[in-house]
Order: sequence, then C-alpha cells, then structure tokens
Amino acid sequence: MPVWNFCNFFILKESLAFIFEMAQLHEDALREYDELELCYSETVNVAGKQRDFGGVERGDDQAALLNPGNKPLTQIVQDDSFREFEFRQYLFGCQAKLLFKLNRPYEVASRGYSFIISFSKALALYESILPFCMREVWVVTACLALINATSSHYKDGLVAPDVEKEFYRLEGDLYSLCRLKFMRLAYLVGYGTHLERSPVNSASLSMLPWPKPAVWPSIPPDASSEVLAKEKMILQASPRAKHFGIQRKQLPLEPSVLLREANRRRASLSAGNMHEIFDGGMSPSNKSHAAAMSRTNSSPGNFESSIDRPMRLAEIYVAAEHALRNTISNPDLLKSLSSLEEFEQKYMELTKGAADNYHHSWWKRHGVVLDGEIAAVSFRHGNFDLAAKSYEKVCALYAGEGWHDLLAEVLPNLAECQKILNDEAGYLSSCVRLLSLGKGLFLTKERQAFQSEVVRLAHSEMKQPVPLDVSSLITFSGNAGPPVKLCDGDPGTLSVTVWSGFPDDITLDSLNLTLMATFNTDDGVKALKSSTAIVLKPGKNTITLPLPPQKPGSYVLGVLTGQIGKLKFRSHSFSKGGPADSDDFMSYEKPVKPILKVFNPRPLVDLAAAISSALLINEPQWIGIIVKPIDYSLKGAVLHIDTGPGLKIESHGIEMEGRTKPIENTVAENGSLTEKKKFELLKLENGRVVFPDWASETDSVLWIPIRAISDQLPKGSSSGDSQKRSIVDGMRTIALKLEFGVSHNQIFDRTIAVHFTDPFHVTTRVADKCNDGTLLLQVTLHSQVNAMLTIYDAWLDRQGGVVHMGKGDGRPTSGFFPLIISPTTRAGILFSVCMENMADTILNIKYGISGDRTTGAHPPVLVESAESDGTKQDLIFRSALIFQRPVLDPCLAVGFLPLPSSSLRVGQLVTMKWRIERLKNFEQDEILYEVNANTLNWMIAGLKRGHVSLSPEQGSRIVISILCVPLVAGYVHPPQLGLPNIKEASISCNPAGPHLVCVLPPALSSSFCIPA
Amino acid sequence: MIVCVAVVGHQNNPLYIQSFTEADDALKLHHVVHCSLDVVDERVNNPKKSGPMLNETYLGLLYPTENYKVYGYLTNTKVKFILVTTDLDVKDADVRNFFRRFHAAYVDAVSNPFHVPGKKITSRTFAERVSTIVKAFGLSSAG
Repeated sequence: MPVWNFCNFFILKESLAFIFEMAQLHEDALREYDELELCYSETVNVAGKQRDFGGVERGDDQAALLNPGNKPLTQIVQDDSFREFEFRQYLFGCQAKLLFKLNRPYEVASRGYSFIISFSKALALYESILPFCMREVWVVTACLALINATSSHYKDGLVAPDVEKEFYRLEGDLYSLCRLKFMRLAYLVGYGTHLERSPVNSASLSMLPWPKPAVWPSIPPDASSEVLAKEKMILQASPRAKHFGIQRKQLPLEPSVLLREANRRRASLSAGNMHEIFDGGMSPSNKSHAAAMSRTNSSPGNFESSIDRPMRLAEIYVAAEHALRNTISNPDLLKSLSSLEEFEQKYMELTKGAADNYHHSWWKRHGVVLDGEIAAVSFRHGNFDLAAKSYEKVCALYAGEGWHDLLAEVLPNLAECQKILNDEAGYLSSCVRLLSLGKGLFLTKERQAFQSEVVRLAHSEMKQPVPLDVSSLITFSGNAGPPVKLCDGDPGTLSVTVWSGFPDDITLDSLNLTLMATFNTDDGVKALKSSTAIVLKPGKNTITLPLPPQKPGSYVLGVLTGQIGKLKFRSHSFSKGGPADSDDFMSYEKPVKPILKVFNPRPLVDLAAAISSALLINEPQWIGIIVKPIDYSLKGAVLHIDTGPGLKIESHGIEMEGRTKPIENTVAENGSLTEKKKFELLKLENGRVVFPDWASETDSVLWIPIRAISDQLPKGSSSGDSQKRSIVDGMRTIALKLEFGVSHNQIFDRTIAVHFTDPFHVTTRVADKCNDGTLLLQVTLHSQVNAMLTIYDAWLDRQGGVVHMGKGDGRPTSGFFPLIISPTTRAGILFSVCMENMADTILNIKYGISGDRTTGAHPPVLVESAESDGTKQDLIFRSALIFQRPVLDPCLAVGFLPLPSSSLRVGQLVTMKWRIERLKNFEQDEILYEVNANTLNWMIAGLKRGHVSLSPEQGSRIVISILCVPLVAGYVHPPQLGLPNIKEASISCNPAGPHLVCVLPPALSSSFCIPA
Repeated sequence: MIVCVAVVGHQNNPLYIQSFTEADDALKLHHVVHCSLDVVDERVNNPKKSGPMLNETYLGLLYPTENYKVYGYLTNTKVKFILVTTDLDVKDADVRNFFRRFHAAYVDAVSNPFHVPGKKITSRTFAERVSTIVKAFGLSSAG
C-alpha cells in the first residue's frame, strides 16, 4: 500500500498541471498549483519534524521566486517533502508564470507582495542559521525581480481603472519595501550618516529590528585600513545643521543602538552590564546622545584588534560589509553597496520608483512624502530648483491638512531652498508660514530668527514690492463689546485689536484696514488708513484708526494691508471674538461680528415754531423756535437764520431759554420755574447764532425779534360779503439751517412758516339809513389774535383829507372805551356818519394788546431807544371800510304768457306771447326786442327783431306775440325774448331762467314724417 | 504595545495624536498616522472594495507591514481613529473593543461645551482616559 507523501502528491499534481498547461488550460494548471501550495503549507508545518529550511547555498540570497527552474527539484527533496526555502519559491514561480500567461500581472504583484512578506517572516525564523542579512538581501532582490517582471508584463489600459490604481499601489509598496531593506543594509555598512533622518525613514527603519544572526560577524584580520577609512567617514560626516539654527532632536533610524546590539550578539563577548541595559525588545530606546557617545567611543587611537574587546562602530561597519560581501551574490546589489555614490544612485532609483508608482495610485500621501526624500537628495546635490518644487508639494500636503508638526520639519528646508534660489516672495512667505506655525513647534530663538529674516528682506534691496499674505500671523478683530455706533455722516474713531504672531516687536510702516458693508456688496469697500508707523508688540495690540463718515449700514472688518519696508502684507482673516488660536484651521467658520454700525439718517434735532397762533403784522414780535436735540449733542451748533421776503429781524439780541419738560407745568407756577430756567442773550452775527454749551443736550427755545412788513392797508368787508381774507397774505417764512455734529457735518434745514395777522378784521353793516342821508354804521371787530385786545379809541377819517362827518366825528361816546375784546371774539361799534361818498373811508382804532409770546400775538418788542415810561404802548390799527351798494335795480318786467291749453304738436302753429311791463319811470320809450330760438327746433314766422313803443309811465304794459311752429317733439326750449338795449340788471324775468315746453309728436294720420 | 493613537478630523486634520513611546520620536508616528489616511481614503472612496463592511465603523487593519500594524475606525461624522501598535499578533476583537471605548471617550470629550468642533482636543481628562484605555489594551492582550 503506497504511503501518501507529499512528493508523490506533488508529482501527481504537477504532472496534472503540466498537462493542463500543455492544453492551454492555464486556469486549471494554476488551480493545481494553488492546491499544492495549500497542501504544502499544511504538511510542512503540521509534520512537527525539524526540517532543513534551505537557503544556505551560494546564490540563495537572490530571490528565485520568478524562476522556477532555478534549481532542479531533485536537489531540494528532503525526506518525503521539499526544502521550504526552495520549494515555496518554486511554487510561486510556477504560479507567476501561469498568471503572466493569463495576462494577470496585477495578480502577480498582489500575490507576490504577500508572498514576500510572509516569506520574509519565514526567513526571520531561520535567521540564525542563514547567512548574515540573508533576509534583507532576499527581500531586496525579490522585490526588484517582481517589479521588473510585473511592470514589463503590465500594459496600461487593459484593466479597470481601480485595478490599475491598485496595481501601481502594489508596485509602490514593493519599491518602498525594497527601499527600506536597502537602507537597512546601507546603514549596516556605514552609510547611515547619509540617510535623511526624516519621519518616513525613521518610521520604517526604527521599527524594523536589527538582523539577528546567531553570531554577529566579526572583523576580518586584515581590515585595519578599511576600519580607518570608515573612521574617517564617521568623523567627516557631521550631522547636517538645520536651517535657521533650528535645534531638533534627530529622529532615530535604528531600533536600538547598533554598537550595543552588535556587541551583544557577539558570542565571545561577555555581555556584562550591557546585557542589563537592553531589554532587547522593540523599544526604540535609543537616544541621540547615545549616538554621539558611540562616535566618541570609536575614536581612533586605541586601535587593537582584540576579539574580547567590544567592537567600535567602524569595526562593526567593516565587519558587516565583509559579511554582506559573502552573503550577496548579486553583482548589482553588491555594487550598489560598494560606494556612497553607488548607494545614493540606487537609493534614488528606488525612492523615485516608489514615489512615481504611488502617485499613480490612491496613495498620494505616500508619494508626496517620498518626493520629500527625493528633494532632500536633490538639495544635497545642489539641485535646489528640483528640491524646492518637491518640498513645496510636501508642504502643501501637510499645510492643507493641518499637520503642523510634520510641516515644521519640512518647511525650513523649503525656505532654505528658496533663499538659495533667491526666490524672495517664496522665501518670505515660507518665513511667515514658519512664524505662523504653532508656538510650541519652534523655540523663541528660532522664531526670532524667522522674524529677523522677514525684516531683513523687507528692508533689503528688493526690486519691487513683494505681496505677502500674513493672514495666519497677523489677525485682527474689532474690540469686544457692542459695535461702534455712529449717526449717518459722522466721522469717528475705530479701535481695532490686532494680534501679532511675531515673536518680537515689529514695526509696520503703514497700516490700512478695509471695512465691508454687510448685506450690501455693491458698495465696495472703504479703507481706513493709518499712515504713521505702528509698532506691534507680540500678542494683543490695540490700534485706533480715524474713521471718515460712512454710509449707513453695518460694517465688518475686511482686509488688513500694510507695509513693512518694501513688503506689502495682507491679512484677510476674519475678525474673531477671542485671541488667535494656535491653529487657524477652520477658524473661518466663526461668525463675523459687525464692528461698526452707521445708522440710517434719522432726525437728530428738531426745530419748530413755539407759537401756534398768529402774530401781529407790522409790529416787532418775538418768534419762538423750539430747538429739540434728539439724543444728539448740539455742542457748538450754529444756527443760520434767513428771513424770507416781507420779514425782517429786529436788531435786538436773541434770547435763548431752556425749556423744561412739557409746557403745561410752567403755566401754573410760571415765576418760580422761569427762574430755574437757563437764559442767555445771544448775538446775531451775519445771520448766525452760536448755541451756548448748556443748550447742547436739553430742549431750548430761541426767541428772535422780527417784524413782518406789509404795506397793504387792511380792508374791511361788508356784512353781506362772507369772503374771508386769504391766510397766505399774512404768511411769512424763516429759513433755518442748523449746523452741528462733531465737525459741523450735520445739517438740519427747516423752513418755518409764521402767520402774521392784523389784530382785527372789520366788517361793516349799514344798520339804518336815515332820510337825511345819515347812516348808522355798525362796525364789527373780529379779533384775529389769541390775545386780549383793549380798544382805547376809534374814529373814522378819509385818506388824504379831513372827513366831513356831519355832526361830530362819528366817534362813539368816550365812555364806551376802553373796550376789551377777548381772544377770537367779536365786538361791535356803532358810528353815525353822514357821508356823500363812503369810499376811501378809513377806520382808526387805537388799541393795546396783552398776550403771551408763547401763545401768539403779544405786545410788541420795545425798542430800546423808545421812551419806556412803563405804560403800555398804544397801537394804531387802520382799516379801509368797504360799503356795499345794491346790485339789482329792475325797471322792466318781462313775462312769458302761458301757452294755449291744447298742447303743442309738431307742425302745429302756435303763438308765443310775452308781456313787458314798466316798473319805474324810465326815459326810454322805444324798446328794441329780439326773439331768439333754436332753428332746429322752431320755425318762426314774423318779425324776429323790432322796436315797440312803451309809454314812459310806471305800470304801462305791452304784449309781444309771435307765430312759431315746433319742428321737433320732446321737451325743448321755447323761443326767448331778449331786450338788447337794456342792461340785464334792469330786467326782471318771469320765469327767471330758461325753461322747457313739451312738444308732442304729430298726429298719426299725418303724412308728415320725420326720419328717425 | 500601542505606540500611538490619533483622532483625525473629517478634513484629515489631526485633532489629537498621542504616542506612547519613551523616545522622543513622535514625529515618525505622525507620519505613520498621516500616511495611513491614504488607506482610509481609499477604502472610503472605493465602497466596492470595502463591500460588506460598508456600514461598519471599524475599518480593520489598514497596513500589513512587517513591523507594526495600523488599525482604523471611522465614525459617522467622518472622524477617524487610528491606532498604531507594534504587537504583531493582535486579536481583532480586542481592537474593536479598544475603538469602542475610545469612541466613547471621544464623544465625551467633544461634548464638552468648551470644545470647539474641528479644533484640536486639548482636554486633559480625555488624555488621561485615553492612556487608561491604552494601558488596558496592553493588559488584555497580554492576558
């Protein structure tokens, strides 16, 4: 009974696969190999036997994973199975071959990567029996072989885009794995000083354990010259100083200090206390000072090759180099490690390969980071242009996502490149970015160095001004609290808080700040300027800027611009409520706080007339103007007074008095309150009055003496005439212009209309007319003013001459006076006059007035020069009297006589009759008459116009008749009788006006037809 | 051993990153976390590939490297939690459990009214809680 063993199974399976392959059934052949692999991995581990792993032959270090024919299978047969090292590579090689035939390079790469990882783990298990660094060398060669094979088989566009991306990602992974192992090998032979201590290298190398050979290679006997060379290399390689003198602890490239690790693994060395220091684990407990110490340890001098003495670093390098030379059979790889130049070339090739492939995949970050590594090499070789480009990409990546810690590592390098390239703008912006990074990332000294660079460049001989965005460095906001509130048109000052991120004071040569109106974008932006130099302290500064008048609206701060030397900076950060945070990322989401509110134009002051009723015309009167500030100071206000036509300002001083509360209160206890009131006499100069300070906040009344001039003699009216005098006659206007505000920028215009009137309106009525021509004339005086009037005397005279008034002068008895007329009441005076012609009669009234100027008419302003005898000044009012003459004086009566009882019909003759009667004696006896009729309606037969004689006696009559034919049915005007020679006023008609008569249509039998 | 935990905001900006190594080499862990965002992005942008775990917050192992492992977790608000560990044999359930507790701590931290969303988490309580969780993870995996 045949015993199952793997070899037999393998022979069976492989021959099956071979047959499938011959039949072009690659899929099936692949399946056979997959099954074989599965089966092998189960048996090889489960068996529990200690098997020979393999991989110790010369040339095994070169991966044969794509070369199934590398060794004949018979060589690797072991017991009933195969040696793992060779057989797994063989299996993968067969699978890869089939996959390539199936045109699936992606799958080769994908399977290959996992295979390399897992195989590397397997190698790690057997590391102690394998040659020194066998594992690393194998991975490097395997990766390179896989990359070559897959990329040569891969054609673009054959697969789906996402598979393509995945393929490139795998290629990138293979490259970077290869790069990692290659760097490890390079470190072991002493090129570590040329490896960039960047995060990416540190992350991969410091977490990758050292090779663990059973015994660390020892130094060959005749290597003293090589050791010396390495010593020299170590000494020459000074740690690269960071730009700007940045002091940073360097990132580790080694999981633990190589010196100790190597010495610990030397079998002959009694580890002693070293053993205790190490836990041997993964903890990267290396300190940079340890690295420095290791260098001092390896100082040349006590140079004796002793096996018991711990190896110095240079010796370790030489030993490793020798051991590697034994391990590595690949001439290319050997060459790459032979010299620094060769190493760098290979390193660049691998890094570029990884970066390019990652750029084609989803893993952009991996690619960009590796670009940074390429940039470091370019920089070292003086290829600054290339380096700057790559560094810019890396910086953009880190800055874009806010990884400031990583950015702080790369940005100084970029700045250095830009400085060397003389890219001023770029260099400045890099410096600003360095300054704006979190304060914890750089020391104050370093930040000061950045600032001094900025200032030095700003004041250096730059060709043209360089714009620079300092949004992250200089931030600004309005002061906390409510926004500044201004009335429309007012200037002001705006206080702004500016945070400076500079570590030292910085002098800004100028500073501009724009205001942006919210909700009103069409308005553009307003710039506030501060032309004087401003020194910003680090941290919070408060700056006050003059604010010119703005349009109404709500404003936020826009952009801050300014200049430092030739450097034009600009910060467009939005105002923030609090101090600038260390990271400005996403700070733009904060709501914007309005800094300034300019209110819509609103009344700031009100000027109004203090009086409501009319003043006396032609007399000096006080006019009161109430000045009412509406929450606005009138400090220093100037009032321009411009009187309209017919109005004149008297030369007296202007009085100004405070106005306390509502007026009603003052009425009761007038005396006591007025004392408390402020009062001041003001001078009118060039039509201007300057307000006193006390009047700036409170209401006040300005009393201006004026006189309305009217040269018209007031006319009375007769009692029958109800027509009133037009109010406009007494209207006068005063134009007032008040200038106030901080810089007299606010102007308030108001034209006040004041009504002036005569004290009385006179109506006359002839109460009785005596036979002797004496008239009893009743004169009614209507008081027009809101004041008490007292009449002392009244008389009539005629303009331009003495009036004959019959007996006496028609004056009422003196006992009648004084007559007191209350406001808006009437009083009557009876005159008995005898006059032939009453025209041009003038009524004179001597009166006094007692009124308050706050209500209306009042005693006239006393002229200072006038005799002030203390008595009341008597005023004279003159008014022309109007008499009415009777209008109608009929002397003829015309009557339309009734028509015959049978109604009128169209076409029927009818006689129209008028009767004329003489009402009074009248000279004319021949009367001209005329009959007018509408010819469309009437046909008139007979004389239309003619003379009739009428006897001159009163009551004589005559009848005029005329024959007519109505033409139209309906209500029509009858013919009219007119008397052209006699005035209409002398004719009394009956009926008085036009009237209608009814005309019936013609009888039915009639053949007389009128077309409809 | 967990060497690093990080909270990464929805714009891939770091909100909290804490390393637990003794050496002063946090920057390399920043790099690891940052680069692992590539994988998170890839998974999120290619729902086809993530397939069954479309609705799961736990993203699983992001990075099969030889020497360390990176695990990811994506909250509903597109905040990512990244865990870097040097333990090479980690139970998936442990990581899930870790992330669940970490998520709870994060939610508590950002619920603080004084925390500005989208800003770095500066809460000391959060840091203490995270280090407790990290320590507990080490213990449970050891035991």
